[in-house]
Amino acid sequence: MILACLATAVIVVPLGWLWWSSLMPDEYSVLDMGYVDLGGGPDVDAMDMAGSGHAGMSQGDHGTDHEIDTSTLVGDTRGTPDVRLDLTAREGSFELASGREVSGYTLNGSSPGPTLHATQGDLVEVRLTNADVANGITLHWHGLDVPNAMDGVAGVTQDAVREGETFTYRFVADRAGTYWYHSHQVSHEQVRRGLFGGIVIRPAGTEETVDSPTLDVPALVHLYDGVRTVNGHEGDLRVPARPGTVARVRLVNTDNGPMTAWVSGASYRVLAVDGTDLNQPGEVSGKKLVVTAGGRADLEVVVPANGTRVELGGNALVLGPAGSEPAKTEAPRTLFDPLTYGQSAPTGIDPAKADRRFDYVIGRRPGFLDGRPGLWWTINGHLWPDVPMYTVSRGDLVTMRIENSSSDVHPMHLHGHHALVLNRDGKPSTGSPWWVDSLNVLPGETYVIAFRANNPGVWMDHCHNLPHAAEGLVAHLMYAGYTTPFKVGGEDRNEPE
Amino acid sequence: MLAWLIAAEVMVQAAAIVYAIAGLGIWIDQDGGVLDKATMESEGTPFPEIVGFMIHGLNGQMIIPVLALILMIVSFFAKVPGGVKWAGFVLLAVVVQVLLGMFLHEVSALGMLHGINALILFGLAAMAGVRAHRFSKTERANAASTERELV
Repeated sequence: MILACLATAVIVVPLGWLWWSSLMPDEYSVLDMGYVDLGGGPDVDAMDMAGSGHAGMSQGDHGTDHEIDTSTLVGDTRGTPDVRLDLTAREGSFELASGREVSGYTLNGSSPGPTLHATQGDLVEVRLTNADVANGITLHWHGLDVPNAMDGVAGVTQDAVREGETFTYRFVADRAGTYWYHSHQVSHEQVRRGLFGGIVIRPAGTEETVDSPTLDVPALVHLYDGVRTVNGHEGDLRVPARPGTVARVRLVNTDNGPMTAWVSGASYRVLAVDGTDLNQPGEVSGKKLVVTAGGRADLEVVVPANGTRVELGGNALVLGPAGSEPAKTEAPRTLFDPLTYGQSAPTGIDPAKADRRFDYVIGRRPGFLDGRPGLWWTINGHLWPDVPMYTVSRGDLVTMRIENSSSDVHPMHLHGHHALVLNRDGKPSTGSPWWVDSLNVLPGETYVIAFRANNPGVWMDHCHNLPHAAEGLVAHLMYAGYTTPFKVGGEDRNEPE
Repeated sequence: MLAWLIAAEVMVQAAAIVYAIAGLGIWIDQDGGVLDKATMESEGTPFPEIVGFMIHGLNGQMIIPVLALILMIVSFFAKVPGGVKWAGFVLLAVVVQVLLGMFLHEVSALGMLHGINALILFGLAAMAGVRAHRFSKTERANAASTERELV
């Protein structure tokens, strides 16, 4: 009998201990999460976050008087906005452009929300009102490197906007390109169910004219309850275009997994990835392109006489004259590879001079996450929240090795920065400089990326398969000397993942 | 009983996964459905049988391992001859099965072993159940004969 009790204890006690020690406090600062990782760079003062206690949280108060509050990092946004957009979020059922009834969230009555159009250099003001979303909302400007206080991450850069409240975002649209916005409060649920929209920023001096020979088509791809849509339309979306029209198709993957795209009846060029133009993009045919979750790709297609189809995994954008029926094609087997596409050009990044070199190794193991047993993601072998706090000083050149040793693809998204891909599995990037904010890292792959730490604050660095983020695949990039007053949990029930 | 429950759960697993794959086939054939990573991660229900995948995952990663652990603990207290050994075999087979389930996403051939190990687990759990059942029957018989002797 004693032996039986002992044997039971051998099984139950360690499990109970693991369970108890994984429990998170009701309210915590992401600054207290995990352990400091300096990436081999010099130590930074005003940082005293080492040590791990309850659920990988360090003990004590780390705030010091001379730290800069990230909520003051709003950028220079004086003056009258050039672009103003009022967005009102609601919860409930709504009709897609196709007429299908869906339950979820809308912005100004529709999902996707209205596309934000601006010209490079414009001062943008978006007033976000939460009409009745019970969990609260925020908006994150995915791919725009806005000042930290405008990044829209609940519990990290702001409090969630509760029912009846309004929050005003102001930032300068300093980069041309294709981006999108989405909620970063309970994001794994709110984005999937509709709280997002597109952003198109044109280069200065290229305002659209009525008789413009070019066509600019944003294509936000999203699955609502398993039904794939393009700009809210099911099936094929027809866009009338005269033969010879040069179309710029702005693909935005708003889903949680990578999607493939290819073009039937025409060749294409990949003009831009994640909002950054590629250098001298050549013609591509017989290849499919992967757009990772959260990622964007701008394709240029010249419309042939009988039209063309931009295939989007079952749906298509059909560009052509009225009545044209371009034939559908199967997905090509060969993959478009940005690593060798286009021509190289100076980047201003010399990885040999990196100040800090970080590892972001993704794995998976059984354990407890805030008391829930399961198979959870690990970063550098640690379960959330005992994950690295990547700590940099302003101005550092940083390299990061992202290795996927799990069996699932991870679309890795670093907030507030664009990173240059240096190599994949040791094979250097020899094509156009390839700048990303959302990178598709397949199982077994290793990427090395580099970025300049030139946008101070506290930034999420997470998997954009948003349920994965909720399962612990979240770390932060932290600038020494900065602190955030916002907390996860607490009265505002901030829940960024 | 507990061991038989595990065996029954293995049946549920087999049934659920085949049901889901059948539904997937029908969805692709008859509705022109396209399954890609984005669809898999959408948490939507493009076809109703998709629930089979969820059941398989939840059962396999949570419920069956918990049942196997409880069986192990119960075996410490029940005085079934060889009970601890059989519960240990069941637990071991469950651990192997979960690991195979994880790694078959990297090496598809492990999927074959996952299928075969399911039958082994079923056999072990059923055997453990039979042994426990036999034991409790003899126990009852012994108790009854003891009572008769007392009378």
